[in-house]
Amino acid sequence: MNDFITVYSGDLMRRIKSRPFLIGLMLGTLAIVAMFKLPTVLAPTIVNQGTRLVIVADAPLAAQARPLLAKTLTVKGVVPAGTTVDRALLQRFDADSAVSIAQVKSGIRVTIFAKNPTSVPSGRVRAALLPLQVQHATHLTSAQIAAALDANVEVRSLSTKFHSVHQAVAAQGIAMTLVVFLYVLVLMNSQFVMSAVAEEKTSRIAELLIASVDPMVLLAAKVLVGATLSILQLLVWVGIGIALGSGGGAASAGAANAGAANANPFSLSGLLGNTLSPEVILAFGVFFILGFLQISTVFAGVASLINRTEDLGSISGPMVIPTIAGYFIGILAINAPALPVVTVTSFVPLLSPFVMFARMAVSHVPLWQIGTSIALNLLALWAFAWFAGKLYRVGMMLYGRPPKLAQVWEILRSPS
Amino acid sequence: MLSVEHIQKSFGNVQALRDVSFAVDAGSVFGLLGPNGSGKTTTMRTILNILNPDGGQVTWNGKPIDRAVRRRFGYLPEERGLYGKMAVREQIVYFGRLHGLHEPDAAKRADAWIERLEIGDYALRPSAELSKGNQQKVQIACAALHEPELLILDEPFSGLDPVNADILLAVLIDLKKKGTTLVLSSHQMWQLEQLCTAFCVINKGETRASGTLAELRSAWPTRIVRVGPDSPALRGAAEKIGATIAGSENGDLDLNVPATSDFAAMLRGFAQADSIVKFEVVEPSLHDIYLRAIGVAA
Repeated sequence: MNDFITVYSGDLMRRIKSRPFLIGLMLGTLAIVAMFKLPTVLAPTIVNQGTRLVIVADAPLAAQARPLLAKTLTVKGVVPAGTTVDRALLQRFDADSAVSIAQVKSGIRVTIFAKNPTSVPSGRVRAALLPLQVQHATHLTSAQIAAALDANVEVRSLSTKFHSVHQAVAAQGIAMTLVVFLYVLVLMNSQFVMSAVAEEKTSRIAELLIASVDPMVLLAAKVLVGATLSILQLLVWVGIGIALGSGGGAASAGAANAGAANANPFSLSGLLGNTLSPEVILAFGVFFILGFLQISTVFAGVASLINRTEDLGSISGPMVIPTIAGYFIGILAINAPALPVVTVTSFVPLLSPFVMFARMAVSHVPLWQIGTSIALNLLALWAFAWFAGKLYRVGMMLYGRPPKLAQVWEILRSPS
Repeated sequence: MLSVEHIQKSFGNVQALRDVSFAVDAGSVFGLLGPNGSGKTTTMRTILNILNPDGGQVTWNGKPIDRAVRRRFGYLPEERGLYGKMAVREQIVYFGRLHGLHEPDAAKRADAWIERLEIGDYALRPSAELSKGNQQKVQIACAALHEPELLILDEPFSGLDPVNADILLAVLIDLKKKGTTLVLSSHQMWQLEQLCTAFCVINKGETRASGTLAELRSAWPTRIVRVGPDSPALRGAAEKIGATIAGSENGDLDLNVPATSDFAAMLRGFAQADSIVKFEVVEPSLHDIYLRAIGVAA
């Protein structure tokens, strides 16, 4: 135990002070800040792009159209029908487009003249002028049209997990954010573990270490240092997220993605509410630990076989594939938690930390399925630890040409 | 006492150790000799339990080497390595802690070793900034900080300039005085001859010779008798007693005779044959014993 504590604390301090960790932490922090602040900065620019317009129409028609368009767009002015529409006109009114409205037999005809046709919000213009079109086509009153156009749609949740659509959508946003966190933390820190093992081997310090400490203690300490650093990063990022969120920041990317602008998962009220439940937090913790330990253990074992740090890229490439697959199926699970592929992969080790967590965040998963998934992950972790331990014990002392698959098989079969 | 008994070790199809045996008395300095690839490093790693032998056993004071025993050992591997970004003092303290020392004790000892090895100017600098020789000194401090009962050094003198080699030699002699058992390998025979009390020659994974220098010499079947000045009468006398001429140098005659010869009678015979001014029985050197043991005629 003393050996473990010495190696763990020594390794932890070395890694905390290391440049890759500090850079990763800084970049992650910047990403969090950007995620919160960019929507605030960019939203007005993006939302208002191409929305300033001039109405070109006869006075009565313009008087009817103006309040309708002004609900969602910025009306910069009105000019009479027949006015020449050119860039000079738009420039005069500081507008992006001119909306020409004329009465025709079937209702109204709308033509939009724009400086940049790709940024024209034609859908919003069409929606805004729909009552006018109906009025001219049917000769109904404005009140009748308003009543007819307002289809009263109400969604009532039958889910045992969420009581409202708003809550379900917010949960999707949170799940999305957490799956991204899970992916970034697992992958980034597993690669750190891999680099640390490769560094000790290629710097030839491994032999000195193995002569002093049991290789399994070294391996375990390395993997757990990676887990500790991941948790540290997560706490820093979540702390910054909470600070930014409770400071009145814009909606998070996750929530924005889900279309729940009011549900900021990092706002204190959001955290304290039902949206981010203790069950989801616990699931995140459990599946993060399981995923990280599995992947980083395998990474560490395989890294012990290489002789040059340059080979890290080629060896880690194929090993990253299950993590990427898990991430994508996890994202899929957020939108479609009942798909068969989602259900099946939520039991497959390496994939299930992402998929089962995503399922749990957005749907009600039977307890036996959660238990089975955790049990299979623990079983896989035991197998991976055995596999990595075998490789590590021998691999760290193996110099010269990289071993062939047959040699790796021999190592795994050997009694020590 | 360290006892290595018939250890064997294979890596796939390669049999690195076929049958290696030797014993090292506590507090002695033991030299492990052998050409490159003979199995010295594998033997050392097996002693340290880094590798488990396929057959045979290694014991320390009659007990198998487990984790607790190994903690009391020190090791300087042939392939040196340090954490390049870690400061020298911090590194020495870290390895002391890995061998069970408490931090304050390890720090105190590290300072003493830094002074002893004359690397005080670099104590707070990252190891990567040190010269190869100075890095090697740091590694020796890392290996010996906890005053191991057994210190195994694989080619400790390689890469050291004469001044640093002398410092290391003095350090090893000090350790020996303090009771540390030393097992070291080197291709520098003169250093081993100066330092070691017993030897083992390994070749192709097998023990070819083992014992103290006196024991190894006594097992040598012949001796060189150097007699001079060279003369026809002397050569005739040599022929009469069945000695073979090994060479002639500086006016003297070197004769190869059985180790069991009656050298007093031989001296009388040569003195009667001619007037001689030199008669010397030359013992085989460690170098000769080594060459003969590995199958290269000495």
